[in-house]
Amino acid sequence: MTVPATAPNAFAAVSPLLTRLAAERATGALLRDRGTLFLEDGRIVHAESPATPGLDVLLTTGGGLAPERWREAVDRAGARRQVARFLVDSGGLAGGELEICHIAAIFDAAFFALSPGSGPSRFRRGATHWIGSVRSVPAAAVERETRRRRELLDAVWPYPLLDTAPVVPRAAAPGQTVTARQRMLLDRADGVRTPADLAWVLGRPAFHTLLDVRRLAAAGLVETPHSPAPPPVEVPLPDWMTQAQSPDVALLRRLRDALEASL
Amino acid sequence: MPGIDECLLEAMALPGARGAALVDWSSGLALGTIGESPVGDHETTAAETAELARAAAEYESFARAEAGPGDGAVSGGPPVEDLIVTTRSGFHVLRFVETSFDSSVFLHVWLDRADGNLALARLRLRALAEGLVLR
Repeated sequence: MTVPATAPNAFAAVSPLLTRLAAERATGALLRDRGTLFLEDGRIVHAESPATPGLDVLLTTGGGLAPERWREAVDRAGARRQVARFLVDSGGLAGGELEICHIAAIFDAAFFALSPGSGPSRFRRGATHWIGSVRSVPAAAVERETRRRRELLDAVWPYPLLDTAPVVPRAAAPGQTVTARQRMLLDRADGVRTPADLAWVLGRPAFHTLLDVRRLAAAGLVETPHSPAPPPVEVPLPDWMTQAQSPDVALLRRLRDALEASL
Repeated sequence: MPGIDECLLEAMALPGARGAALVDWSSGLALGTIGESPVGDHETTAAETAELARAAAEYESFARAEAGPGDGAVSGGPPVEDLIVTTRSGFHVLRFVETSFDSSVFLHVWLDRADGNLALARLRLRALAEGLVLR
């Protein structure tokens, strides 16, 4: 089933198709260019985006969950679509922790999946995700939060180029404090990594990294890239303009004489 | 292993509890809410309490880094344990939750001033925050 999405409008619903699917309590996967939302009875139960680190990255990067345990859970419970439950039941993860991380991942992926210009949407009815059931959130809450996040980014520091450009740290001003969390990000900003790359390295949600980079730029701790200015058209000036010459005194005298004579 | 809903339900069992939420202080997202909000909208309250929590969690005077800077290891948890705001009509207790992965969440409970017991709320929230991540 393919439904063309209408043009994004900041004041209208973030995704009219999502609103409709929620209203008809649909179950399946809403596929967009920048991510996929999984619905169950019209509520969002999972979301993924190539722009955001997945649950595996978020849970294993800090060392809280060994990557082998994640793989074991996927191997043993993936086919049954109960990876989440397996992780908790096997003692790999606390139930609360899984819920916290899972909700964070849903809103993070949804922010990118529902971003304007994410292209046409397709809905695959009945599709489910192997992570299994953890928690669900109303589609309306996800749309509201997505809109709030867009506004928050611009309220902090309205330079969208920061979201995609390599993060270039700047030296702190004398007396300016850099918090431990900020330092973790700045230490990994090597002038090549973009905010998305940093999200993967740090094991933090991508939106959080975008927001932190905007905050750092607002504080002057990260360079704010300016939109690339059109390259200046270089027309070489003629020599007579650029090379200093002694004024032609004789000519000036004749000019003065002529002007005086005409008075 | 209680989940977010059970944790919030237990917070509401505190004497004088009017509302509770689990909030991400980095983004201002409400991960779970229950009861009332002081402004009638949990999402607004979450965004506002998140700003307060972020300031406390990040300002060096409260949150002096104890681990080696930038070693990336998850150190002994968030340095700030809780925040208490008293108003003319109520108490607000914010308790930071320590997870095994990089996160930025806290529990917020709003208590009625007449019936609320600040000391009890603080102890209970600590237990709830620990229970949330208990395997």
